[in-house]
Amino acid sequence: MNAFAALAEGFQLALAPANLGWGLLGVTLGTAVGVLPGIGPALTVALLLPATYGLDPTAAFIMFAGIYYGGMYGGSTTSILLNTPGESATIVTALEGHQMAKRGRAGAALATAAIGSFVAGTLGTIALTVSAPAMARVAIAFGPADYFALIVLAFVATASLLGSSRTAGLLSLAVGVVLGLVGIDRLSGDARLTFGMPYLLDGLDPTIVAIGLFAVGETLTLAAAPPGASHVLPLERTRWMSKSDWARSWKPWLRGTLIGFPLGALPAGGAELPTLLSYAVEKRLTRHPEEFGHGAIEGVAGPEAANNASAAGTLVPLLTLGLPASATAAVLLAAFQQFGLQAGPLLFQNEPQFVWTLLASLYVGNVLLLLLNLPLVRLWVLLLRIPAPQLYAGILVVATVGAWSVHRSAGDVVALTAIGLIGYALRRADCPLAPVMIGVMLGPAADMHLRRALAVADGDWSVLLRRPLAGGLLLTAALVVAGPALWTRLRRDPWNAPRVQ
Amino acid sequence: MALGAAAWLSAASATSTGAQTLTIVAPAAPGGGWDQTARAMQRALHDVDPHAAVQVENVPGAAGTVGLARFVSAERGRPDALLVIGLVMVSGIAMNGSAVSLADVTPIARLTGEHEVIVVPADSPHRTLQDLVATLRRAPQSVSWGGGSAGGTDDLLARLLAEAVGVPPAAVNYVAFSGGGEALAAVLGGQVTAGVSGYGEFAQSIAAGQLRALATSAPAREPGLDAPTLREAGVPLDLANWRGVVAPPGISAAEQNALTARVRAMVASNAWKDTLRRTGWSDLYSDGPAFRQFLLAEQSRVMAVIARLQAGRATTPSGVTPTSRTAPVVAVTLAAGLAALLVWQRRRPGRVTPAPSTPLARAPAGSRRVAAIAAACLAQAVLMPLVGFVPTAALVFATGACALGSTRLLRDAVIGVAVAGALALLFGVGLHVPLPMGAWLP
Repeated sequence: MNAFAALAEGFQLALAPANLGWGLLGVTLGTAVGVLPGIGPALTVALLLPATYGLDPTAAFIMFAGIYYGGMYGGSTTSILLNTPGESATIVTALEGHQMAKRGRAGAALATAAIGSFVAGTLGTIALTVSAPAMARVAIAFGPADYFALIVLAFVATASLLGSSRTAGLLSLAVGVVLGLVGIDRLSGDARLTFGMPYLLDGLDPTIVAIGLFAVGETLTLAAAPPGASHVLPLERTRWMSKSDWARSWKPWLRGTLIGFPLGALPAGGAELPTLLSYAVEKRLTRHPEEFGHGAIEGVAGPEAANNASAAGTLVPLLTLGLPASATAAVLLAAFQQFGLQAGPLLFQNEPQFVWTLLASLYVGNVLLLLLNLPLVRLWVLLLRIPAPQLYAGILVVATVGAWSVHRSAGDVVALTAIGLIGYALRRADCPLAPVMIGVMLGPAADMHLRRALAVADGDWSVLLRRPLAGGLLLTAALVVAGPALWTRLRRDPWNAPRVQ
Repeated sequence: MALGAAAWLSAASATSTGAQTLTIVAPAAPGGGWDQTARAMQRALHDVDPHAAVQVENVPGAAGTVGLARFVSAERGRPDALLVIGLVMVSGIAMNGSAVSLADVTPIARLTGEHEVIVVPADSPHRTLQDLVATLRRAPQSVSWGGGSAGGTDDLLARLLAEAVGVPPAAVNYVAFSGGGEALAAVLGGQVTAGVSGYGEFAQSIAAGQLRALATSAPAREPGLDAPTLREAGVPLDLANWRGVVAPPGISAAEQNALTARVRAMVASNAWKDTLRRTGWSDLYSDGPAFRQFLLAEQSRVMAVIARLQAGRATTPSGVTPTSRTAPVVAVTLAAGLAALLVWQRRRPGRVTPAPSTPLARAPAGSRRVAAIAAACLAQAVLMPLVGFVPTAALVFATGACALGSTRLLRDAVIGVAVAGALALLFGVGLHVPLPMGAWLP
């Protein structure tokens, strides 16, 4: 069947008043749960699944897709305003976004996040429509060795985040890896760094680590400072994006989409990797390197676009192969089963109307989200008018209840406090916090993929170079490390063309 | 508007109070098989008796052993509580060295199960299970098996199969992936020799001709699947990823019979049959002495294979291949070394003082204020189940605001109560996640 005719038919169904209503409900709910730390789209869909039992599957999935995309939009709001990421995919947004908010530029940060999410979500959905089967073939060609090489590349690309003191930056990175490794090792089933505590067996949730380090740690640091020292600046008069903000945002949006969509389609890629890579790319390409770490708009625009494009990418393996690449996708797969739909290679043949309506509703959902979120920007920034003591006290309450609600366990609140104290200690010791999150997100993944690669290759290390994908990625990583130095050497080489003074 | 609609949605699934109550504990996060079982039971019990108040509670962690331990201690003697269990919990108990086991609970019934299927990529040289077994016997390490987490049903099947054909379970090169989805990608991409997973997870790819099913672990052939059972292929073994329910310890025989009768009535309901049809779960219902026998047999064979596996692993020399212990040792050593180096660099006479990145980092320590906030957060963790969320959250709010320089304690406490109340409403009504309200509220 002609894909575009089918898509047009899908739009007709998605725009039917009832389905539009379900979509609106989904995006509103999704935005709400994205804003709240802890409860994410995966949990929301799982909780609503039994309630949708009697619903028509198309209507239910239009709502679920709205929740999924809406969660990605909402998660950035709290990252920017309160330094408490709602989702693991918006942790990176907090790095520059909250710095912008502190400098009175919350409006511009929220706007570039919302518009960037819309651009990336729409482009990602277009890519999903036209390239899903081809993309899926590329995605499954990725083996454990290739994943390991990709993570090495990400480590190298983010090395500039280590800050001015290499020792302090590496210490933060190592602390992050240690925190990330806590829990049962998936490959062997062995408990690692749990010290006999059953609570630690499931590991530390990256979102809780981020909220503890950023929000609780910052509150503690402020408390340690002399009373009255508030460093939240009043809002700038221009609450919107200026001309230069637009000029500095549109390229990061497109680059973020290019990075986010393919990495989102990788079955074991995870949601954090694309945002981290996009941040690193923007930091390297920016014309305003001095602003990074102090609220550079590129550092919000890129990761936010990457995050939404990867959400679209995640649907590629889900719809074409029936394999979930994220927690939300796993719940969506369970939802497919509840409605008697088999996600997988035959879905497009067996249920074409359902698939195309779902795809059409993704476009519609993106428009709805933009319409919902742009007016909200003005409302959200009012939060920052609250005086610092009450604002940070409120952040503490939201952070603790968010941590509790993930597993409904007091252990998560204790962990949050302990990580907050670690964050406080690191700040006092002048250690940067971003490398801790890099360690948490990439360290355990590197360990897992390396051991998996070696197990598949029966202990043969050469697998890392023999596979073209892995070898190519590792070569790129080596070039990123050695490239700048080599380049300078070549330019200084007397046998090359002498530099004209 | 969203909250109103969400409240309406949750009201649609809520149950009325006043009649027979029942709490079903799913020892896993929402979305997984145990959670789906608990919620399907909730629906079916509602179908049997619309006035019954059935609650689902999620206590996730460590292959269900965290939920099991809490169930045994917190629900002891309660005749209105059920815990969802399954094969993975049996192996979790063995692998995690859990102090609590299934001997500590009262068996009620086995409900459902899913059988496993062993697959290879369509272009694999292994045409039949016998081919694969022959390679496994010749060079066990060369056959890599892709499946779900270590200790899960897929892992157990690969090792039980090896043992049944005379290969030591510790020699099996099992590569664990995060669930059947990633394993499916690895098999499709030819990363591993063979894949093991629930039939449902591979069914579509088998039907599409991308994967070849070599055998199923069911006692009889799966309808619509052209593959022999393991027994037909000459391996005396069957295995199901079964799920069932147990009651707390310390209940009377009469109470046990009453619970069994309720579960039996639930299984006969149309809602339950509809769930089985939709999910593709096989009906493996059994209760009474038969289920008790099954549970004992299952425990002994799983414990035996895991014990042999762990013994075999301990004696295998690791060489230059990293093990599960390598990364923690490296990371902790690095962290300690770097911390020492940092202290040395900063204490060194004539050092170059790194400029403090923020003025705050060098401010005089208000350590008492820091300790007060940390203590308030910890108090919330401990006291929330006892006195409820609103007072503890107000305490955190007031402590935080005062530590940050606010002087009006009373006003902050009032704001704290208002913020906490609003959050409790939002989570409880809007998101269907009730916050603890304390023992003093009805």
